[in-house]
Amino acid sequence: MIDPSTIGLIAFAAVLVLLALRVPIAFALASVATIATFFIFAFRTGTFMPERAIRATTSLVYSNSFDLIHSYDLSMIPLFVALGHIAYRAEITTKIYDAAKVWLTRLPGGVAMASVVGCGGFSAITGSSIACASTMGRICVPEMLRMGYDPRLATSSVAAGGTLGSLIPPSVLFIIYGIFTETSISRLFLAGVLPGLLTLAGFILVIGIWVWRNPAIAPVGDQVFTRRERMKAALDAWPALLLFLVIVGGIYGGIFTATEAAAVCVVATALIGFAQRKLTLSGLWESLKETCIQTSAIFFIAAGAKIFVAFIALTGVAPTIVSTVTAAEPSVIVLMLAIALIYLLLGMFLDPIGIMVLTLPLMIPLVESYGLNLIWFGVVVIKLLEIGLITPPVGLNVFVIANVVGREAPIDRIFAGIARFLSVDIIVLGLIMAFPIISLLLPMGM
Amino acid sequence: ETVLIHGEAGPNRGARAAALQWFADELESRSNGDMRVDIQWGGALFKANAALPSIRDGVADMGTVISVYYPQELVSYGIADLPIDNPDAWVGMRATDELMRTSDAIKSDLADKGLVYIGTFTTSAVNIGCKDAAIRTADDVAGLKVRGVGAYGKVFGEMGANMVRMSIYEAYQGLDVGLIDCSQGYSYAVAALKQAEVMDSYTLLDWGQVGGVGIFMNEDVHGSLSADQQQLLEEVGSDMADHFGRLITDANAKAIEDMTAAGVEIIELPEEERAKFLELGEPFIQAWADTAQSVGLPGTDLLNEYQQLIAKYTEERDANGYPWLGN
Amino acid sequence: MLGKLENVLLGLGAVAVLALGLMISANVAARALFDTALPDTVTFVREMMVAAILFPLAAATAARAHVAVEFVTNWFGPRTRSWLIVMGSVIGMLALTPLLFAGWREFSSNWTSGGFFYGDLNLPKWPGRLLFLIGIAACWIRLAELAIRDTRTILSGGIVPTNSDEQDTA
Ligand code: NA
Ligand code: NA
Repeated sequence: MIDPSTIGLIAFAAVLVLLALRVPIAFALASVATIATFFIFAFRTGTFMPERAIRATTSLVYSNSFDLIHSYDLSMIPLFVALGHIAYRAEITTKIYDAAKVWLTRLPGGVAMASVVGCGGFSAITGSSIACASTMGRICVPEMLRMGYDPRLATSSVAAGGTLGSLIPPSVLFIIYGIFTETSISRLFLAGVLPGLLTLAGFILVIGIWVWRNPAIAPVGDQVFTRRERMKAALDAWPALLLFLVIVGGIYGGIFTATEAAAVCVVATALIGFAQRKLTLSGLWESLKETCIQTSAIFFIAAGAKIFVAFIALTGVAPTIVSTVTAAEPSVIVLMLAIALIYLLLGMFLDPIGIMVLTLPLMIPLVESYGLNLIWFGVVVIKLLEIGLITPPVGLNVFVIANVVGREAPIDRIFAGIARFLSVDIIVLGLIMAFPIISLLLPMGM
Repeated sequence: ETVLIHGEAGPNRGARAAALQWFADELESRSNGDMRVDIQWGGALFKANAALPSIRDGVADMGTVISVYYPQELVSYGIADLPIDNPDAWVGMRATDELMRTSDAIKSDLADKGLVYIGTFTTSAVNIGCKDAAIRTADDVAGLKVRGVGAYGKVFGEMGANMVRMSIYEAYQGLDVGLIDCSQGYSYAVAALKQAEVMDSYTLLDWGQVGGVGIFMNEDVHGSLSADQQQLLEEVGSDMADHFGRLITDANAKAIEDMTAAGVEIIELPEEERAKFLELGEPFIQAWADTAQSVGLPGTDLLNEYQQLIAKYTEERDANGYPWLGN
Repeated sequence: MLGKLENVLLGLGAVAVLALGLMISANVAARALFDTALPDTVTFVREMMVAAILFPLAAATAARAHVAVEFVTNWFGPRTRSWLIVMGSVIGMLALTPLLFAGWREFSSNWTSGGFFYGDLNLPKWPGRLLFLIGIAACWIRLAELAIRDTRTILSGGIVPTNSDEQDTA
């Protein structure tokens, strides 16, 4: 009988090999997890029992993919993707960038910085990193490419900016963490604010330094705009401002939820587009079809990751790792470094919610036994999970951007750009870990 | 050594998790280590709405099933979710547990689905918390934006509430920004989800319970166990109702205490107001009986039996107190 | 023929996305303006999500829109790369087969048992299961077609285009 933990390790290696051999990510994750799950079920009783294993394996694979798709909350993702496409065809996004160009033309990399800030704003609203990356990817990246920005800069700044989604409240990940640890969700939300802003500042700094050292990647216009031109550009961007006000006013004014905001915005954008005679029925139809192609591919990857999480749960890899750490009786610093390493490693392959579900039940008692603050630890965990969204080989945000942008940015090029943002992420993580006050200042002030 | 994988959709925190952990620990110690339960928390293996096929197909050997996701397949267990006068967590669980174990109709219905009943939890009595609003009479419900669940939610709708559908996780933010005025809940869960942070009144409806929440096992796995092991599962499963009853009664009392301390007004309804809620729930009880009848279960008989069991355990509690308070 | 079917499915997926947006918006309007809710919106949305996500899967596959890592295989020769693309399709079929198998089981069991969602209308469970089965089956068929077509291309001395090749020629 093969030890399940060994099957787990072999599976991780198999995924790496298949990915390197250009097997589509969704197929690699799903097929390896399926076959490995079959082996675990088949050998569970010690003797080879293929028939029961087939039934159990197919049931596990099916329910994990069906439930992911059969979701009300996740309808936000196709809707926000559609919003990006329709706004693009209605020329709403172009107007934003025309305004940004007029206002930020003298600032090297200014439009990329504005995109990262836009991601921060969008995240603050939707609470979902994936929704943020898919909408902003559709809106920002083509415009930046049109302005002559280097594809690496354009794509990676949006992929990285998308990770602000869960650190800046509201955030689905903080809510789940709060439920798993019985900590106050409003305190967790407050705790995420400063680390989120710190990350945002770090990302802007990365862009600044990157562009300063290679001015060619973000062309600066030498045009001088008059005050009148500036005002006109800003006013022409009114539909975008209106949409933003609808989202923020609607969510914080108690009119609709974040999921509902996505739907309302799609309808509002289409109406604005029709009213301005920029959007045609066939344009709307094409937008919806593009939306479908993209979201189906994104969901298929997410389903593969979900199946992989269920398989990892069966292997017992997570408890093995945690008990190894516990048995070593490390000092607090070593413990935190080990935890960071574990989350970074898991984050290479798995999705944030899956990692939380697998690890928190084991990790929290351990962390509590060291007397560590659970609010602070929550911020550390969420930051680590956000980093996982942009680390290779499985970086969901990167795939989303690659999918949205298409041929102009293969994922290795996006990952290459991401490396700079990752280094600042690690520094911010170090600061958050070393100085708990960054996280705890706001919630303690309550 | 027999290791049983248990799939649980909820987190490993809170009263239900504590009871499930107790079940696992107790099974291990009473079997002297012969039986062990490996609990997969947080829906790592399957979400709550896939529990039934997952257990039937052997994804896990056993797992926590919530009947509301299976109004047709698990109509028998849905009896414990009805908006009847059933406010006591322990009484409700004992009645449900006994019905599930003794009714031949239910047992054969479960066997058809490849399942064996092991033990039961409950959410405890349904109450409702509000922000910038307070429910002091049945009439106050009209016009409020309410997040309700199951038949209870339907009753709020009948009373003129504007029903808003959102997940339990969204309820916190919904209350906070005023998207909903009130959210249906259970005291200990309100505490666990920190909803008291965004509520300023909490009305004790002391209504029925959502009690169709329990442990079921794959029939083949159950059949492969020795008679002693099966016997032990039944014992520990049944004892779990007492243990959970204690946990949840304490947790609810503490939740109310904490809410009071946090400045949430606790409202007790006058008996005649409470009766209005119960009366409006009756059509939904009848609807359940019809569904039961349609799948070949004796709905009306089961309802009578269930009501008698509730009366029986209410009497027992009144005469002897809760089992954990004795001696 | 296959392309036509995929176009129809893609169109239906687009309709489903539009319907999601309209239905959720209508529910918001009903709540804000008329103090009421449309029946079972959540269930309708979930069922339509299956069509919105899975119906376009075959078209996405035909468009070779699945994200893959290419920087290792860029070092290989074009024929090796072509064979690896065929392998990707075959592995995709392998990944989808259990979903087809279980999808059929779930659909037929919900069809015969009459399972439904608790709600205002007690909507049946089988339609979403059927939509799932259709979407996965269409994708499986397209993968099989791609695998066969690509193999033929290689055997007749050609190479299979990848995203990055098309980019080079563009
Ligand atoms: Na957020
Ligand atoms: Na990653």
